[in-house]
Amino acid sequence: MEERNISEQESLQLIQEMIGKAKSHYHESGASAILWGAVIGTCGLISFAEQQWNFSIGFDIWFLTLAAIVPGIWINIRAAKKRIVKTHATAAIDIVWNVFGISIVCVVLYGNIIPSISEGFFAKENIELLSHNMLTGETKKYWPTTLSLSSVFLIIYAFPTLATGWISKFKPMIIGAVVCYCFFIASLFTPFKYDMLLCGLAGIGNWLIPGLLLNRRYRKAKSAHV
Amino acid sequence: MFKDLDPILHSQLRLAVMSLLISVKEAEFTFLKEKTNSTAGNLSVQIQKLKDAGYIDVVKQFKNNYPQTICKITPQGVTAFEEYVKNLQAYLGANK
Repeated sequence: MEERNISEQESLQLIQEMIGKAKSHYHESGASAILWGAVIGTCGLISFAEQQWNFSIGFDIWFLTLAAIVPGIWINIRAAKKRIVKTHATAAIDIVWNVFGISIVCVVLYGNIIPSISEGFFAKENIELLSHNMLTGETKKYWPTTLSLSSVFLIIYAFPTLATGWISKFKPMIIGAVVCYCFFIASLFTPFKYDMLLCGLAGIGNWLIPGLLLNRRYRKAKSAHV
Repeated sequence: MFKDLDPILHSQLRLAVMSLLISVKEAEFTFLKEKTNSTAGNLSVQIQKLKDAGYIDVVKQFKNNYPQTICKITPQGVTAFEEYVKNLQAYLGANK
């Protein structure tokens, strides 16, 4: 393309062509979604298996999520370096995922801090929570855990996925998020063991599968430009 | 009576650059070069003209020890582009 005057008709065609080119430029490799989908999927399924078949792998599998933070940050930095264009949609999606990261940390803090703080508040009022087994008559101290915290995690998992799918008009993510919301409703009625299964399946449906589809699309677009 | 089309925008490469930038938040020089299929020298000259007109902002920095040029359309550029498209549509509509 060179610097030359053009007819009015050519101008309109050029505008349409360039806007189309800008919109069709695709750079999302889905690596981050694949990483987190695989990690959450593995953690949820192993956690469920441990309880279903009464065995232990010797450590809390959910620590894997902490281990995945460093490669997760590395993937994001690498993707940002490769990015040669920033659309309004990608800028909005970046904000959504940053808010998601903050929210996840807050929910983890909530789940870990609330029980001990609640116990302290009750103690100040000279109240002790007790659980009583009506069958054996046994009464013991009750640790005030946050009930069905995994349901809250399922809502948090679904939110950025739905927002990303909606903004980028990527159906697999919209479907994954809707499935995740269905899992959330199911988790309201299921015991902890099955909540873990739902969390694992949510990780796979919400991120791993859409991430793999994104990656396939990315590779296709990349090979088309070579 | 038709308004004259903005001479800054009524040029193939500058209009292509503005059409790309109106669709995105910001873009690197390499992106504009790839999409417009232009030479680096010619693109630099046209980007400078758009910058001088106040239609785009250009930020030059270093990324991984390589120079990086980031272009972004300004509010003045958005207004000029919208005006250009409006005039173009009026002209083409009248000539149908």
